[in-house]
Amino acid sequence: MTILVKPRALFIGLILLCVLAIWLSLALGPVSLPLFDTLRAALRLVGVPIAPDGLEQAELILGQIRLPRTLLGLAVGGVLALSGVAMQGLFRNPLADPGLVGVSSGAALGAAIAIVGGSVFGGLPESFGPYVLSLCAFLGGLGVTALVYRLGRRNGQTHVATMLLAGIALTALAGSAVGLFTYLADDATLRTLTFWNLGSLNGASYSRLWPLLLISAGVALWLPRRAKALNALLLGESEAGHLGIDVERLKRELVFCTALGVGAAVAAAGMIGFVGLVVPHLVRLLAGPDHRVLLPASVLAGASLLLFADLVARLALAPAELPIGIVTAFIGAPFFLYLLLRGRA
Amino acid sequence: MLRTQNLQIRRGPKIVLTDITLELKPGEVLGVLGPNGAGKSTLLGALCGELRAHQGSVRLDERELSDWTGTSRAQRLAVLPQVSTLDFAFRVEEVVGMGRLPHQSGRVRDDEIVAAALHAADAEHLSGRSYLALSGGERQRVHLARVLAQLWPGEAGQTLLLDEPTSMLDPLHQHTTLQAVREFANRGAAVLVILHDLNLAARYCDRLLLLEGGRPVALDTPEQVLRPEPLKAVFGLEVLVQQHPERGHPLIIAR
Amino acid sequence: MRRSTRVAALCVGFFVSYHAAAAESPQRWVSAGGALSEWISALGGESKLVGVDTTSQHPESLKALPSIGYQRQLSAEGILSLRPQILVGTEETGPPPVLSQVRSAGVQVELFSAQPDLPTLQGNLQRLGKLLGADDQASQVFQAYQQQLDQQKIRVTRAQLKGKSPGVLLLLGHAGGKPLIAGKDTAADWLLQQAGGHNLATHTGYKPFSVESLVSLDPEVLVFADRALTGDAARAALFKENPILSSTRAAKDGRVMELDPTLLVGGLGPRLPDAMKKLSDAFYPDSAGQ
Repeated sequence: MTILVKPRALFIGLILLCVLAIWLSLALGPVSLPLFDTLRAALRLVGVPIAPDGLEQAELILGQIRLPRTLLGLAVGGVLALSGVAMQGLFRNPLADPGLVGVSSGAALGAAIAIVGGSVFGGLPESFGPYVLSLCAFLGGLGVTALVYRLGRRNGQTHVATMLLAGIALTALAGSAVGLFTYLADDATLRTLTFWNLGSLNGASYSRLWPLLLISAGVALWLPRRAKALNALLLGESEAGHLGIDVERLKRELVFCTALGVGAAVAAAGMIGFVGLVVPHLVRLLAGPDHRVLLPASVLAGASLLLFADLVARLALAPAELPIGIVTAFIGAPFFLYLLLRGRA
Repeated sequence: MLRTQNLQIRRGPKIVLTDITLELKPGEVLGVLGPNGAGKSTLLGALCGELRAHQGSVRLDERELSDWTGTSRAQRLAVLPQVSTLDFAFRVEEVVGMGRLPHQSGRVRDDEIVAAALHAADAEHLSGRSYLALSGGERQRVHLARVLAQLWPGEAGQTLLLDEPTSMLDPLHQHTTLQAVREFANRGAAVLVILHDLNLAARYCDRLLLLEGGRPVALDTPEQVLRPEPLKAVFGLEVLVQQHPERGHPLIIAR
Repeated sequence: MRRSTRVAALCVGFFVSYHAAAAESPQRWVSAGGALSEWISALGGESKLVGVDTTSQHPESLKALPSIGYQRQLSAEGILSLRPQILVGTEETGPPPVLSQVRSAGVQVELFSAQPDLPTLQGNLQRLGKLLGADDQASQVFQAYQQQLDQQKIRVTRAQLKGKSPGVLLLLGHAGGKPLIAGKDTAADWLLQQAGGHNLATHTGYKPFSVESLVSLDPEVLVFADRALTGDAARAALFKENPILSSTRAAKDGRVMELDPTLLVGGLGPRLPDAMKKLSDAFYPDSAGQ
């Protein structure tokens, strides 16, 4: 159908939505801070000279807990949505999802090795714990994706259909390996593994945030430059080639950006599903499939969506916390079914 | 100019096309005819670089086709495949606009060219509609507009390869499409078009290449190629060949 | 005159120092660990608890407190919203970044070892006592505990003179289905041994067994702990989901004992001696009641 929302209106709307999401994410939480305190603490954080009396708690909550969490949510939501667009372009199918190239299952396998392996081999020093887990998840995601990509290559060309099948096979293999680790795990490790699989923005800290921020920024700045090429890729690989595009290079870039971006996101926040599938769809429904609009709009929409989901995760069962993967699945799955039934997918 | 000499294409151990020596001259429409499996699409695939030659080579302007970089090649050579698998709801102008990708002509000029190409393909009225809402024939015309836009306005040094561009069109649009292709050639471009309809080939082509079993049977004007004996030998069809009463080109009637 | 002044000064001194000490000990407590919460209650600190984790289910009144979630996945802001002065937990409490965030908010964070042995318990109780301002009570409680355990040892030794130590298996399940068997290096194993049983499982940790191997081990006593159900419902569910268990000696002799699963996590807890006694009585029915 014709475009419902013009690009300019869409971007203004999404930017406003994003700003609202950021503000709510900073202002709301289990600790109820007076709005005035939040404002002043926020201003102090950006360097405005305001007297600090009475603001210690607000500054701590805002600066140490909510702000890194908000940044994490922005980065993860944005990069997952962007990877969703990239994969839907690569497979030329609006039902594609970053997990198809195996990055999510690879990351899960890496995490399982770190979590269960750590306890089997007597555990690592506490301070290393979170870094080792993230690193293993990241390497696992990259490793499996590299393998899927390699399997899809024949005679110097990447066969997307083969990659898809390889992704399915390796995802199943990784899944059974995770199952094996689950069997070897004791009760406590098992729960840690389960919670990791459900995803969470909890415990975000600046030191663990910066690799993800760098990678997300890199991917978010790079992919929109390939928007026209991605449009042409949707015509078909040979047609895109005849229009002068280096299709092999483009496919390589798409897989690489997805592996890096999703790998870093999963390493930082665990498995958060449906964002890569649902967000590009929503944006396409509103503004059409042109990647010049779709790519930047998906970043904004994905970031906003994840922050709203995190609000629910933090407040629904306060002072306890829902894993955010549950919230995104709750929103994403019914939406996906709706799409299927309506025949738009 | 696109040319090839002693071209041979294999699929595994099997030879699917051989002994092809061909030159696509500027201003000329070359039609390729033959029964199913004769190697027509294989020939087109080799000429646009999708299939690698086992023997012989394809040269564009005296350089090997594989030596050309993507953009510069795309400015000289455009290909219209038989089917399109586009599955996203782009607007018609956006699809045609993709043809301008190899060029740096700017938004304004691109929009003008897109409009002109749509007019030439008789698809102007489709402007503003979603690609997915079009019929098979309408989609085919949109893609024709796209490849026309890619080489617009058409001049010597450019080559257009078309794989059965009329397969899904009604009789009127079969003619308007080939007329547009003809006009493109009249401006200097070289055109190769695979056709199934012998009469369309007779009317719009300057030369015809008749293929059978991967081998060239005849390469000459329609008058020379479209005669009862070769047509019976290649297609197994008994035909009468007469002269078109108004235009003079051969008219093939099945007996 | 001077003596009474001195006495008065001394009284005032004691009075002031007592209040100072009480002001120093934290008043708002958040506990992440079932056993810890029980000990805090046992030392009279239940009124100071403002939030507990999901494993803190005894005494029953704790369930009414706000829940901070699962002990390994705590939320910093969630804890801070309860305005605590101290957070207590074990080495399982986490994730670590959350603990450092809570610390930087000025909340005292004290972690205790969950190792199931007496010296650890003694150390923990001493620390808890100090933090609660109940040092004397802490040492009293520990001594009473130690006495109970010593009595238990005597009971078992005497019983073993009369009869052999029975072969036991402990099954940890959820609504009866898919039970895990407690092997070596588990709190369950320690408990079974203290109660004088012989754990037939030789693996380490909790592992699922095929029902055939369960039956081939043929335990004399079965102990089951169900996370979802209690009492007869749990017993019925266990045999419904695993009907082949009824062919074991334990089932045929009716020697199937229930155990509260919260006793198996978080280190030694105050309810353990009673549970041990119940188990011993089941293991050595001839010596029961001594």
